[in-house]
Amino acid sequence: MSEAVRDFFDGLARDGGRMLRQVRGTVRFDVAGPDGVDRWLVAIDQGRVAVSQGGMDDADTVIHTDEALFLRMAHGEVKPMSAWLRNDFTADGDFRFVIMLERLFAPPPGARHPRTVGGHRGPAGGREPW
Amino acid sequence: MRRLVRILDGNIFALSEENGDMVFGPVNPSGLFAFDTRFLSTWRLTLDGEELHPLAVHDPSYFEIRFFLVPGHPTHYVDAKTSVIRERWISDSSFTERLTVLNHTGEPVEHVLRIDVDSDFAPIYNVVWPQASQLRGYREVSDGRLRLGYRRERFHRVTDVRTSEPGHVDERGLTFRVRLDRQGKWSTMLQVKSLVLRPDGRDVREPLGQSPSQGAARSRRPAGEHGDQLHHDLRRWLAAAPRLSCDWTPLTTTYQRGLADLAGLRFSSLALPGETMPAAGLPWSATLIGRDSLLTSYQALPFVPELAATTLRLIALFQGSVLDDYRDEEPGKMLNEIRYGEMAAFEERPQSPYYGGADVTPLFVVLLDEYERWTGDAALVRDLEDAARAALHWIDEYGDLRGDGYLWYQPRNERSGAKNHCWKDSPEAICYPDGRLPGLPRATCELQGYVYDAKRRGARLARELWSDPAYADRLEREAEDLKQRFNRDFWIRDGGYFALALGPDGDQVDALASNMGHLLWSGIVADAKAEAVTAHLLGPRLFSGWGVRTLATGQVSYNPLGYHVGTVWPFDNSLIAAGLRRYGFRREAGVIAEAVIDAAQHFAGRMPESFAGYDRSLTRYPVPYPAANSPQASATGATFLLLRTLLGLEPYGEHLVVHPEIPERFGRIELLDIRGRWGRMDAIGNARPAKP
Repeated sequence: MSEAVRDFFDGLARDGGRMLRQVRGTVRFDVAGPDGVDRWLVAIDQGRVAVSQGGMDDADTVIHTDEALFLRMAHGEVKPMSAWLRNDFTADGDFRFVIMLERLFAPPPGARHPRTVGGHRGPAGGREPW
Repeated sequence: MRRLVRILDGNIFALSEENGDMVFGPVNPSGLFAFDTRFLSTWRLTLDGEELHPLAVHDPSYFEIRFFLVPGHPTHYVDAKTSVIRERWISDSSFTERLTVLNHTGEPVEHVLRIDVDSDFAPIYNVVWPQASQLRGYREVSDGRLRLGYRRERFHRVTDVRTSEPGHVDERGLTFRVRLDRQGKWSTMLQVKSLVLRPDGRDVREPLGQSPSQGAARSRRPAGEHGDQLHHDLRRWLAAAPRLSCDWTPLTTTYQRGLADLAGLRFSSLALPGETMPAAGLPWSATLIGRDSLLTSYQALPFVPELAATTLRLIALFQGSVLDDYRDEEPGKMLNEIRYGEMAAFEERPQSPYYGGADVTPLFVVLLDEYERWTGDAALVRDLEDAARAALHWIDEYGDLRGDGYLWYQPRNERSGAKNHCWKDSPEAICYPDGRLPGLPRATCELQGYVYDAKRRGARLARELWSDPAYADRLEREAEDLKQRFNRDFWIRDGGYFALALGPDGDQVDALASNMGHLLWSGIVADAKAEAVTAHLLGPRLFSGWGVRTLATGQVSYNPLGYHVGTVWPFDNSLIAAGLRRYGFRREAGVIAEAVIDAAQHFAGRMPESFAGYDRSLTRYPVPYPAANSPQASATGATFLLLRTLLGLEPYGEHLVVHPEIPERFGRIELLDIRGRWGRMDAIGNARPAKP
């Protein structure tokens, strides 16, 4: 069991990602590590996210990934869509959740707010409406 | 780009020479393409070592074609003893070719028929913008079939070639030794599959509900009955659209051609496999391009409203949710383009997806509202409430770069991103009259119109469908405030027109351009200024006689063949005509509609993406811009919006208001069975006789 993967899912359960309210469905992550495959089920309902661990539950989308890639995506270092295009992970089921994976993961580190580019005044700090 | 023969179904297509051959060369775009990849670059047929020449080429629909071929050179045609019929079609995500050899003599004959096969697996981007390519990948022969493949790390593309009749298969192609009785014939069926394989050997599309062997629902058919399902689908599509009759034939021709082209432009996305939406253009832009898909769906709403629903849902799925400099992504922003090829996969190009367009996000809200006004589909508007709110939030939080209430753009990906984040996205498109280019950021005028419209429409949705009157009030206040400021800050008093853009210091980029026609469409123009704007749009510097030029004559950058600095774009003109109509300039709207449809008849009704800005009196013929795509979705859509404008079709509550204003040349226009929240309605209009 990877502590880093557990930390990520604990955080996701706490903070809930950036799903839209109209999204409903389940995504199962089969994360392959040195000690075998850990399975995590993410259930999304009205934009709220619940996380459970363990089973071979049916899910709308199943993501098969190794732990190293998973963590890099989870930390925003690798774009999920490009990784999928490269076959670095594979997906079975509903492709919509492959597109929306980014909403469960951290934003890319170091990305700039457009206002900070070219010396415009800094971000207004407004909260996202979701 | 060279003219080639082609067939297609959604985002899979084949381009070849007039004899059906695909010939590999450094700048030759022929081949079989799918998933933004070239799967075949060589597909060359010879009979006894001789190339074949076409006697006739027949393409009954966009997905099938027949070549009638004979060996030897044209001078030998009269005594051809053998001929070959090459029939090909695309369905079920595969390319099929039936080869038939006919012996026209009274003696038995033997022939050697050879197909050379190869692939460079080039990313589509490298074919559109030609660069040196080479054959690459591996070749395998097994069980009488040929497999070409290309691997890069775990990325894997495969071309699988099979034949129904036994032949000799080697790594470079297939050879058939054929014996024909007198007056006999021989035939084989070749099937080419394009596979996008995962490490476990399955096609990526299969576990996602879009299997290459089954295909999307619309192309499912029993094997061997080539194209029947597609024929049926095309007939049903044409039958569902309103029926048009008009005394002026060019309008009906262009309308029928437009409906058929729109059918060919449809494709289904992996994310919504059972539904179809318009691709931006064929063959090279057979993908989701936010701006084009939204505008085309808007233009076609009165005719095929279901395109808009799929487009809106798909674009919402791809809505940005993080800051990502490489992709110019921001939370709430709508995508510019998605590609599935090697360059997007390995991040050599940012289309995975790319968000470098500032207009797409407000246009999303515009289409969502317009869609509900036509169809009454409140469920979709509620489903997309969060997406629409996030889009409206993006405008203020991420689009207003200078904090002054305008929508600006400044690319963060300067290496491989677009220079201009508006429909005129070529590098020189946004310029001063003396040809200088403004610095960054830039706020083009039409973006402000889209924002005004998006906020007003968002307010209606908030009030009527989201039960949030406070939000509606706020959006309306902001829209009104924007209109006031815009009419002050962008207005060039001396010239009597709106600046093309504001530059980085808030100064006016005072070129005279077509963009301000969009302002009428959006409704941001103060009534008192509309007449001056109209006079410019129909005046000699902007109006060529075939339509409104992108940039007016008399400015340094003007070039009648300049992509965004002088050519006439039908899509642009359709929005301008709709805008003129909105402000009551119905006669002027009719002038534009007549000019553009008149131009289309020179292309058998297929509306070109753009044509040259030469004065009509100079060329007497609309010179088409040598565009790579034909049909282009938003050019195809122009016909529909122009027709709506001529008939004055406007939803009003549960009713469709019809208020025709038709130039004399059209005579009578009847449009029957217009679908909408009213059920079905007919619209009939008669031209008002010209004044003596």
